[in-house]
Amino acid sequence: MNKNLLFKVLSLLLVASFALTACAPAAPTEAPAAEVPAVEAPVATEVVAAPMEDVAIRWRTRPDNQEEIDVYTKISGELDTQLEGITLTYEPGGTESANYQDQLKTEVAAGTAPDVFWIPGTDVADFATRGLILNVSDLAAATEGYKADDFYAGPMYHLTYNPETAASGADSGALWGLPRDVSTFALYLNLDLINEAGAPDPRELAKEGKWTWEAFLDVAQKTRALGSDVYGYGASAWWGPYGVWLNAAGGGFYNADRTSCALNTPESLAGLDFQRSLYQDHDVATPYGEDPEPVFRAGNVAMFQNGRWATPGVRTVDFNWDVVELPKGPSGTAGNWLFWGAYVINAKTEHPAEAWALVQALTTAQTQGQISALGANIPSRVSQEALDAFLTFTPPTNNQAFLNGIAADANPTAEGPLWAGSWPEFSKVMDPAVQGVLTGATTVEAFGATICDEANKVFVK
Amino acid sequence: MVINPRTEFLLKISMVWRGIFSLLTFGVVIALWSGILTSELALWLKILLTVILITASIFSAIGAGQIYRREHSGRMISLVIDYLAFVACSIIALNTGEVFIGIDALGETFASGLPYLGIVAMGYFLGVIDEYYTQKKQLWGESSLKVVSRWVMLGGFVLFIFQVGAIDGILYFLNKLTQPLGILSVAGIALFGFFMWAIGRSESAVAMHSKTNHEQILSGWLFLSPNLLGFLIFFAGPLVLSLYFSFTDSDAFSTPNWVGFANYAKILNIQLVSLAYPEQLAKEVVNISVYDEVGRFTFGNSGILFAAADKYFWIALRNTLSFVFLAVPLSVFPALVLSNILNSKLPGMKFYRALYFMPSIAAIVGISLVWQWLYNATIGYINYFITLGIEFWNNLFNLAIIDPKIQWVSDEKTALLAVVLIAAWQTMGFNTVLFLAGLQNIPGELYEAATVDGAGNWDKFWNITLPMLAPTTFFVVSTTTIQAMQVFEQVFILMNPPEGPNNSTITLVLYLYRNGFQNFKQGYASAIAWVLFIVIFGLTLVQFQQQRKSSIYES
Amino acid sequence: MKIKSYRFQQFFSKFSVYFILTFFALVMIFPFLYMVATSLKIPSDTFRYPPRMLPQDPASITMTGYEKPLPLYFVEINGQKEKYALAKSNIKIGTFAPPNDVTKTIDRFIDEVSPTGGADQKTVSINGKEEKLFDVIVDGQTVSMIQISQTTVGEFIDPQDPSKKVYQNVRLSDPVESVNAHAENYTKVLELNNMGRALTNTTLVTIFVVLGQLITSVIGGYAFARLKFPGRDTLFVFYLGTIMIPFVMLIVPLYQLMVLIGWTDRLAALIIPWIFTAYGTFLMRQHFITFPKEIEEAALIDGASRLQILTKILIPASVPALATQSTFTFLYAWNSFFWPLVIINVGNEKNHVLTLALNVLRGRASDTPNLILAGAAIAVIPPLVVFILGQRFFVESVASSGVKG
Repeated sequence: MNKNLLFKVLSLLLVASFALTACAPAAPTEAPAAEVPAVEAPVATEVVAAPMEDVAIRWRTRPDNQEEIDVYTKISGELDTQLEGITLTYEPGGTESANYQDQLKTEVAAGTAPDVFWIPGTDVADFATRGLILNVSDLAAATEGYKADDFYAGPMYHLTYNPETAASGADSGALWGLPRDVSTFALYLNLDLINEAGAPDPRELAKEGKWTWEAFLDVAQKTRALGSDVYGYGASAWWGPYGVWLNAAGGGFYNADRTSCALNTPESLAGLDFQRSLYQDHDVATPYGEDPEPVFRAGNVAMFQNGRWATPGVRTVDFNWDVVELPKGPSGTAGNWLFWGAYVINAKTEHPAEAWALVQALTTAQTQGQISALGANIPSRVSQEALDAFLTFTPPTNNQAFLNGIAADANPTAEGPLWAGSWPEFSKVMDPAVQGVLTGATTVEAFGATICDEANKVFVK
Repeated sequence: MVINPRTEFLLKISMVWRGIFSLLTFGVVIALWSGILTSELALWLKILLTVILITASIFSAIGAGQIYRREHSGRMISLVIDYLAFVACSIIALNTGEVFIGIDALGETFASGLPYLGIVAMGYFLGVIDEYYTQKKQLWGESSLKVVSRWVMLGGFVLFIFQVGAIDGILYFLNKLTQPLGILSVAGIALFGFFMWAIGRSESAVAMHSKTNHEQILSGWLFLSPNLLGFLIFFAGPLVLSLYFSFTDSDAFSTPNWVGFANYAKILNIQLVSLAYPEQLAKEVVNISVYDEVGRFTFGNSGILFAAADKYFWIALRNTLSFVFLAVPLSVFPALVLSNILNSKLPGMKFYRALYFMPSIAAIVGISLVWQWLYNATIGYINYFITLGIEFWNNLFNLAIIDPKIQWVSDEKTALLAVVLIAAWQTMGFNTVLFLAGLQNIPGELYEAATVDGAGNWDKFWNITLPMLAPTTFFVVSTTTIQAMQVFEQVFILMNPPEGPNNSTITLVLYLYRNGFQNFKQGYASAIAWVLFIVIFGLTLVQFQQQRKSSIYES
Repeated sequence: MKIKSYRFQQFFSKFSVYFILTFFALVMIFPFLYMVATSLKIPSDTFRYPPRMLPQDPASITMTGYEKPLPLYFVEINGQKEKYALAKSNIKIGTFAPPNDVTKTIDRFIDEVSPTGGADQKTVSINGKEEKLFDVIVDGQTVSMIQISQTTVGEFIDPQDPSKKVYQNVRLSDPVESVNAHAENYTKVLELNNMGRALTNTTLVTIFVVLGQLITSVIGGYAFARLKFPGRDTLFVFYLGTIMIPFVMLIVPLYQLMVLIGWTDRLAALIIPWIFTAYGTFLMRQHFITFPKEIEEAALIDGASRLQILTKILIPASVPALATQSTFTFLYAWNSFFWPLVIINVGNEKNHVLTLALNVLRGRASDTPNLILAGAAIAVIPPLVVFILGQRFFVESVASSGVKG
């Protein structure tokens, strides 16, 4: 009897676990997901889809938050109706911390990757030289209305780079994709904190041309003094944020033609040392390696360094905020990046022509306008119209700060792949070493003494 | 002995069938190597298929002869071969019908069928109620409620089947089966099934001089077969493959090349060089185009530099071993203490035991996410408690201890410790329960005798509890060690990037994952797996030796 | 006297025992409490410092003359805490002092002062530093002063009487809050973040794996325990040996096997390879071998088949062992992460299981820990429920596995 009851309880448990799933609303009917057209058994829909009138194309980006997913899902739905003969499915990829690019590489090799996907500019060379993405120069040549000059030159240099001939440009015989967007760093300001601290308004300083490293440090220190849980500055732990300090000091990651490491030049080390002082000597920054975004959104960081992509998320905060360009360093520029990423085509796609059509549709002025209206980035097409429109996409009021960042006279460094080496490997050597410096585990001198010996190995091929 | 003509006939065609089968399989092997059949198979697969087919062919031929001679072994061979082929055909049929990958579709409709499962549960409840009353109070005897319950359950289940789209699924399955491969496999099922029946019938058994123990042998293998086949395909086979891959440059997608010991050589390629002075740069003493500095040991005015060709492997090994040597004691010693306390006969001990057990059953991924926020340097609870504690002591004793504001997961000094604490927290309760069971197995007379001899509590603990607990301790320590050597999930979730600040949390399994599934170096990853296995094996062996020593003492 | 001290000792040792036990119990339970509490909060509440457990919402009040409801704060008036509404924030306020005595400070709103000399602001040199001069009205008289510092305050008004105003720092003021659990975080995370589908998938996978393992290990264990056939014991030793082999040894070849069969990215890859278990077979064999042989032999003589014996006699008598193994398998299948991570694509969210969905969620919702922890709770709580229901069993069988091992 006892055991019998026990058996019953256990089977009940099983039923209970079924019931738990009932808490999940019948996903296909209620979820707004656009990719589930039919409620009934999918096996049936597969049978129906068998005659194949439309070519099914999957595409993927690396969204940082739900807001971005919503933007791209919407775009996908609209393009699906626009593009004839193509059925689109948008799938949000993993995040940066979930190894988006590495996952893609495996999936391309395994044959399960989407037809079109976005990759950051740094990884274009790696994907291209591994043969994972399609060279669409022939398709592009046959396309009416396609012009390489429509896009920013920095990204296009790399997207048309032909590793076999080392040539680049419209007639290099290579085209790896089209840039989705460009972006650049700005400082997101918590104006409430800055006012409370009685610190000067960085936007005013920038207008007067006084927005320098010293002024920046002054604002950071004044706001940091507000309390032990208030920070003057916050930046995430990846190559972008620390790179600008190196660039602004006149240094950089590698030499001009990107064939060797330049992390140990006096300029680079000076830039790194200044950033180190923000963390170690002046103690104005959120702990290096801890995500500053939640702290900023909670209203406890005065200046938060991030790209345009952070805007949709920041728009939800309930304090007064705006953006300002990065402060100018000893080199006379802010050392900003021209970030970019590109839509590329899976080398194993079965429908290259349709995939190319999608890549073009995703980079039209209209689509880009829509995406940048939602706040995530800056159009990658060079046109005054697009830039004028971009300024109206507020908040932030001071959108000009982003445009100043990518303006020619700011001399931004284009985020770039290493055609002469492997960017992922380079980053794998550089990131931990820099983290060591910024957390005070190693000195700048020790960093300078050994870093390039190791980093230069990634160029030897 | 009289054999009826039907059986005679069936045995005859079985014999002929064995002959045909033998020739057929041999023919397939030839087709395989001459490239008539798909030639894109991987080499190892080709070899494997050949071995299987040739074996089948030879045994089939022998079987034919044995059936002719009416030897029972002929029947056995025939049954085994036909059974295996039958299973293979069934699997091919199911796979062609996309039953396995069809589980994905079930994921889509399953939730919508749940209300009907609720009906099943309701019917079940009725049954339980009925049983309760019949057994407890003898009210209704064979009641109508039981019948109702059955029908409700059946009805609910049928509705569920409809709702999840089983009908469409079956139609789809049949539709897919009309492919050539599907038809072929169905024909195979029929054919092999028929011959299994033909020679498996009890009349055939008598005719083939089978005895009871032969029947037992057959049913033994039959009962074991699902398990054994799965075990061979998904465990033993892959294990051998893993060894093979470790000698290749396999990348999972193209044909692997044999590279001999190159993978192992790269892992084990290290240099130990003495330094002229502690701060001497690595490039002055080793060829840095091959070696990277892993670490240095300095003493006084000199030191030793440890450099390796694959620096990350050695860092990973160092981290993993540090993890083991921190996490194992941290989860074993408190468990030992707690279990001794819980072993007292005070009230409420079962409650505590249950509480301690909770962390070990929660998903590591979920738990690591929780700890990630607890560890948060700016707003996390752990730093908050530390701050409170320090303030308390400072106020109490008028001290000026400085709040360390530990960056648990972003400082290379504490990152590994953060992972260790989670692991210790998770395994401590499990180990406590194991120790508790060991304690409860120690006969009470031993303690009574010791009390009579005037032994104190400590004496009893040292001289009775610990030695008697030695087997449990061995089990606890070795399982915890094996677990700890494979640490991956906590690190993967907790750290961003998973390597942690300055590679301080890159573990062997993480490095294996990186190599195998992000850089395509699956051959190299396999070699790492074998090195990991050897390390684990070595550690367990050492512990086993220790245990042997203490159990001698015990006896 | 002696008895008393003995009693005291007794009491003390009992007290310390419970103290230690309770301390560890708190350590064990705290992360779970934190998880559930945080999953019911609003995002801004999760970023508070100092942290607190109960989910609380800031209170607000609708007042005539203001479009939006005004947030309520505590202000101190005559030593008493009162609830006031924040009507206006970011009011700049400066601290001014005459140039000749910078210690005689006075606070004024910035818009109440004007630069001395208008657009062409006058300055004064103090300690070699040029300081700007402002016209500040003190007791009806205009005085030129320098600005010492500047900050901002908020204007708080009494909801009953809007003319009563108090000015103080907003950030450091205590907001009026009320406890409020946001259970909708769970529906949000289930609907928006794919956790619903993942929950279904995990449930499916778990059910299949548990049932599959039970079937294969029961009949395999029976064969090992009861049926004599050549090679049985060697095979059994072989099975035993493999229990020690870590799973990571298999991950690479298993992956290639899945690529070969075409099961990458399929739920089948999470199920089929895992329904064959050496450990479960071993446990079942150990269980069946303790079962008296006589009953079985009697049944055999009565003409029952082996399968009938198994289903009619052995299985009904083995429910505790089966339950234990099911619980183990349940936990293993429900919690597994490494293998799904390797085999299921990141983009194919339809086939994600809970642990994978959590891995994606933690990157996407890093600014909403309440949602992340709601997701974590969905993954963590079902096993806990199973555990609490089957606790007695489960803990005892863990204990016995250790003793036998």
